[in-house]
Amino acid sequence: MKQWTILFKKEFKESLRNFKWVWIPLVFILLGITQPVTSYYLPEILKNFGGMPEGVIMEFPMPTAPQVLAETLGQFNQIGILVLVLAFMGVVAGERNSGTNIMVLVKPVSYTAYMLSKWAHMTLLAFVSYLSGFLIALYYTYQLIGSVPASDVVSGFVVYTLWLLFVTTIVLLFSTIFKSTAAVAALTLGLSIILSLLSSITPELMQWSPGMLASHSYYLFQTGEANDGLWLSVVSTVLLVVAMLSISVYIFKKKEVATHTS
Amino acid sequence: MEEILNELQSVRWDLLAPIAIVSFVLMIVAMVDCFKHGKTNGPQWVWILVIVFVNLIGPILYFIFGRRSE
Repeated sequence: MKQWTILFKKEFKESLRNFKWVWIPLVFILLGITQPVTSYYLPEILKNFGGMPEGVIMEFPMPTAPQVLAETLGQFNQIGILVLVLAFMGVVAGERNSGTNIMVLVKPVSYTAYMLSKWAHMTLLAFVSYLSGFLIALYYTYQLIGSVPASDVVSGFVVYTLWLLFVTTIVLLFSTIFKSTAAVAALTLGLSIILSLLSSITPELMQWSPGMLASHSYYLFQTGEANDGLWLSVVSTVLLVVAMLSISVYIFKKKEVATHTS
Repeated sequence: MEEILNELQSVRWDLLAPIAIVSFVLMIVAMVDCFKHGKTNGPQWVWILVIVFVNLIGPILYFIFGRRSE
């Protein structure tokens, strides 16, 4: 545990130095501001610049507050995840390529503690960024459009957190498996897009899938009730996260032992 | 003219201003890091231009692709 804390602090310091703790939360905050604002002004923008022929009467209904929150999560799902994946693609692979991990691993450090500290730090940073972006979006939605019941907001927020947790764990897994950081980014993004797409095309077959979590949280915002299969995908996501973590620790141990003994 | 002025007044500037502030802060942070850290992929002056002139995503592009660690 002591080792873990030291390693975690090392990760934390490194990310402070390269400003990850500044710019990633700022990106999420920016997304959290712009989405409610564009939703609010979209009818007016279309009216002024849409080039509608005279006499055409089109009423653009103002989106509801839950809709705006869901749209914001949609932004996080695209740009937010893109940024997170690109920022963390080198979490293990980059250190291995540059050889800096040897400085840590020559000391009697447990590989499990090493990997878990990386994972925990990455997840914490992702969570803090997501939380700050979401709170800003909530404030803007409240100011511009209207309120959403607090319990729905909290439950939707928690469900979406699990999906982010799943994505960061995939990044860690791929970053241990592959050498090239570009492959890590491409595969993680590809996998998360495929999972989300499949769950919107065939929701019945994909009830277990973590890709359903985003739509579950949209549903929670809109209705305040759990959609069918919420618990199934929550449980399977938690299991998958634990499994992927164990696999990455295992692969990392095997690879490192192989490089140090050969 | 009056109409335009009225419309401009109805815009919620208090809510729009933070967008400019946040993107300005991002730009400053990226600039400071680019100068102090000094190691970039490609020429440094190109990254300075990207940070200053590519709106909103310039600083992000620098942090993701331009900054060389170690």
